[in-house]
Amino acid sequence: MIAVGIDAGSRAIKIVLLDGESREVVAAGQVDQGIEQERLAMDLLERLLAEAGLARESIKSVIATGYGRNLIGVADRTVTEITCHARGVRHQAPHARTIIEIGGQDSKLIRLDARGAVQDFAMNDRCAAGTGRFLEVVAGRLGDGLNGLGKLAARAGEAATISSMCVVFAETEIIGLLAAGTPPESIAAGVQATIASRVCAMAGRRVDEPVVFTGGVALIPGMREALSTRLARPVETVPDPRMTGALGAALIAMK
Amino acid sequence: MNEPPRQLTLAQWDERHARLAAAGLREPAYGGRLGRHFEDGDRRLSRLKFDNSPAALRLWNFLLSEEERLFAARDAGKKIVGTMKDLGTVPVMAWSLPEVVAFYPDGAWWIPCVMELDDRLLAVADSLGVNESFCPVRAMLGAFATKTKFPTPDLLISSVGATCDDFSAIAQRVEGLGHPILWWEIPHRREPELDEEAVDLPGNADLLIGSGEKSPLRRVAFPRLRAPRSQVEFVHGELERIRAALEDLAGRKLTDAMLADGIAIANENRRALAELRRVVFTAPLAPLPSLELLIAEMLIIHFCSDRAECLEVLKELLAEARRRVENREGHFSLDAARVFWVNPVADLRVMNLLEACGGRVCGTDYLFSHALDEIPEALPPMESLARSALADPMAGPARDRAGRILAEMALFGAEAIVVSRIPGASHCATEGEVIAREARRRGWPVIEIEVPPVSDALSPQIAGRLEALVETVKARRSR
Repeated sequence: MIAVGIDAGSRAIKIVLLDGESREVVAAGQVDQGIEQERLAMDLLERLLAEAGLARESIKSVIATGYGRNLIGVADRTVTEITCHARGVRHQAPHARTIIEIGGQDSKLIRLDARGAVQDFAMNDRCAAGTGRFLEVVAGRLGDGLNGLGKLAARAGEAATISSMCVVFAETEIIGLLAAGTPPESIAAGVQATIASRVCAMAGRRVDEPVVFTGGVALIPGMREALSTRLARPVETVPDPRMTGALGAALIAMK
Repeated sequence: MNEPPRQLTLAQWDERHARLAAAGLREPAYGGRLGRHFEDGDRRLSRLKFDNSPAALRLWNFLLSEEERLFAARDAGKKIVGTMKDLGTVPVMAWSLPEVVAFYPDGAWWIPCVMELDDRLLAVADSLGVNESFCPVRAMLGAFATKTKFPTPDLLISSVGATCDDFSAIAQRVEGLGHPILWWEIPHRREPELDEEAVDLPGNADLLIGSGEKSPLRRVAFPRLRAPRSQVEFVHGELERIRAALEDLAGRKLTDAMLADGIAIANENRRALAELRRVVFTAPLAPLPSLELLIAEMLIIHFCSDRAECLEVLKELLAEARRRVENREGHFSLDAARVFWVNPVADLRVMNLLEACGGRVCGTDYLFSHALDEIPEALPPMESLARSALADPMAGPARDRAGRILAEMALFGAEAIVVSRIPGASHCATEGEVIAREARRRGWPVIEIEVPPVSDALSPQIAGRLEALVETVKARRSR
């Protein structure tokens, strides 16, 4: 039997199909988020089932998570991203004690106990600063795409200081920096450092190691290093960190 | 007339009211169906869920008829005093004079929520230069400017000093509109130095809420709240200025005997509320929802412009809560996550949301815990009032407030804490951080949320956090 986890995030819908016996991932995929969330999710699910040669009847249970979880009618139950990311990380990195997850719309810091259960969590809630959306805006302004932004930052000699709290104002600030001749590399590095600072501020003074970084932003070159620098401790990532929430949802669906 | 506890929509309440009226429900003069308030412009009511008891109906009608009560008091020749910022001391003094009615202009901060911004009070405040970077209490400025929400007070009194910066700025703007304010200073409370005489403040003793009645609560040590004698004397002097101003207004002496009577009546209200909180927060099933408890707590600040009726409203709620507990009835499920709630929400709907997400409120700190504690009756009244004013959680260090919150969490068996920030409110910006840090240090999960006056667009994000908190609590139980 197959357990399905659907992570309906703000930027993309991710689905993981797990084999209920072996707990192996049978199929996984993602599609950009849109207005018709449920149809997008169902189309992706059908595609993954077809690619894996599975019938719809083989599905035992479906758990939806993510911002749009309540719009996924096929789900048997909904569970929040906090619980799903914790479950997914526990599967992929059982030793983790702190999870940093940066998604398109928000960022989270989750503390786990020794058994991998959620002890406490914090989320940004004021604006897009400290989220993937911030990086998207900057990448658009620097004209190099999200992956290009990371490569750009890696070439920076010195990170520019971005002081604005708000993405919109930060964009204005970046325009000013460009006009003043600041190298795009420095701006890209400055933006990554700003996001890392914002996210790490949520941790307060306590960050237990090991720290694991998940979410789509973990794929952007340089972000893991920026977080590690800001926290002054090593930060790990998991394989395909975009899918961690969906994986966790599928693991919960197996129960 | 009693039905099993459940939450009703506004339309369902109107249907129930018709049935209750037909069955002979006796209501006070301000009673009636709740729907009439919606028709008068309180649009938010159509999105709230209400407790179905006649006691809750009376509570809501009492709250929503305050404006009419104030205008009626003016017509009856009463002197109207606006007691700003101080949440619980000056109103007790003002109400000690029979010809005076005290109200709380800051309460206008909920009008934009209740009227879903149709009141345009925030827009008026914007136009006066007080924009959304200030606390939603700026609606008060709009209310003073438009003169539609309450009668212009005969006397305005506001504390200043150890108060929120944004409130002080807004109040100064009110004064600039031509509403003179009697300012009095509340100093930042501090621990006495070694060579200073220390004075105990209310709320610092081992507290057994509901003392004098059967209580299942164990004693919990509350943080000891003290201040140096010099600060108590300073506040005493400030309150004497207020006494003189009230005497000028009323045209008669405000004697110690009158103040003592006023304190005794305030304490009767406070005891009723304390017992209501104890019964509701400790019951296995919530006998009343959190929204009704929030409103009940707010009454205590200034008695919702009718001190005697306020006590009757609280007593009826308490009787209903006790009846339900005895019958083992209540709202929500037995496994609802027991949440301590810090700070009032600008949007009342969020209290319903917590319950929809699987939680219930078991403990609150709505910024005026000093108004929940009895004012000492064994001391000279002005000394007691000065001590009570200095016990204001907003006048002291955030760690004192955090200490009391953690003690109450233990008292009421709360499992997690929600710190609800008020956008722009300067006291929330730092206090929330301290409270959250102290709670985490003791191992309690904490979330911080920010709630604007109309939070519909943010509802999915807020619900996501509340659901995650509930999941975390339940996962911790299973460990």
